[in-house]
Amino acid sequence: MAFVVGINLAVAFRMLGMVPGVATGPLSRFYTLHWYGALVIFLSGIALLIAYPAKALTNPVFYLKFSALSLGLVLAYRVQRILVIQAVPESERRLKWIAAASIPLWIITITSGRFLAYTHSVLLASRFY
Amino acid sequence: MVEILSNFAQLSGIYGIMNSPWGWPTAESIHFLGLSLLIGTVGVFDLRMIGIGNGIAYADLHRLVPIGVTGFFLNVITGTMFLVTAPDQYLFNPAFQTKLLFILIAGINMLWFYASCLAQVRHTDATMSVSHRAKIIGIISLLSWSIIIVCGRLITYFRPPYHWCFWC
Repeated sequence: MAFVVGINLAVAFRMLGMVPGVATGPLSRFYTLHWYGALVIFLSGIALLIAYPAKALTNPVFYLKFSALSLGLVLAYRVQRILVIQAVPESERRLKWIAAASIPLWIITITSGRFLAYTHSVLLASRFY
Repeated sequence: MVEILSNFAQLSGIYGIMNSPWGWPTAESIHFLGLSLLIGTVGVFDLRMIGIGNGIAYADLHRLVPIGVTGFFLNVITGTMFLVTAPDQYLFNPAFQTKLLFILIAGINMLWFYASCLAQVRHTDATMSVSHRAKIIGIISLLSWSIIIVCGRLITYFRPPYHWCFWC
């Protein structure tokens, strides 16, 4: 998660003009590691969900995290496509908006992820039997 | 030591904040955000040094590092809040001790980088590779931070007295 969020934040900082000298096109090469990280998030998330399905599925915070994470990854995919395919100055403004939107999404993902452990009201599915 | 840290937590009000319903998870969220800032800047710079992102100027990417330093200070502040609130759960925890050891290794590695090859890396052309020494420093840094993250997650599963450091 740290690599996924970290790479997205680094790209967002560049798009928001914090390091204007960095070439945008080559930044897309960091996305290979990003998507491996996303795969690890997906697999470990599935494992946790299988282990404690009731704990996650009965907690609204889980859906908040899932939504923010999914949207964050969709935006990451769009940024990567723009960087790779349309690395032209006209894309800069669009990228800036996407980057600005992605930062709060990653903060929500992290925060809701941490609050998940403290906000569940059900631990085991056996409670419903 | 435990008593000194506990007293500090009580007197400073940290204990009260951390034991509120939102205190601990909020501090954890900030801790993870700081870590992400660190990985997203220092980690990305390390990746660049070991050869990923050819074409990005080293000097430009190095300008992101102050953001990572900010992230590290967020980690130090929130980490201290965890430690003083429950010192017995951290000081004698092998995962926490290993985490501190690798933070020390990452710190020494960073000093090695600044003392030996910062100027050389900053002046290396964006299409060229940095020296083997700089690559080794990048690898050590990435490995150290990865181990620090893993140990951070393992702290909760190695709480004393069920798990104890091997020299206690």
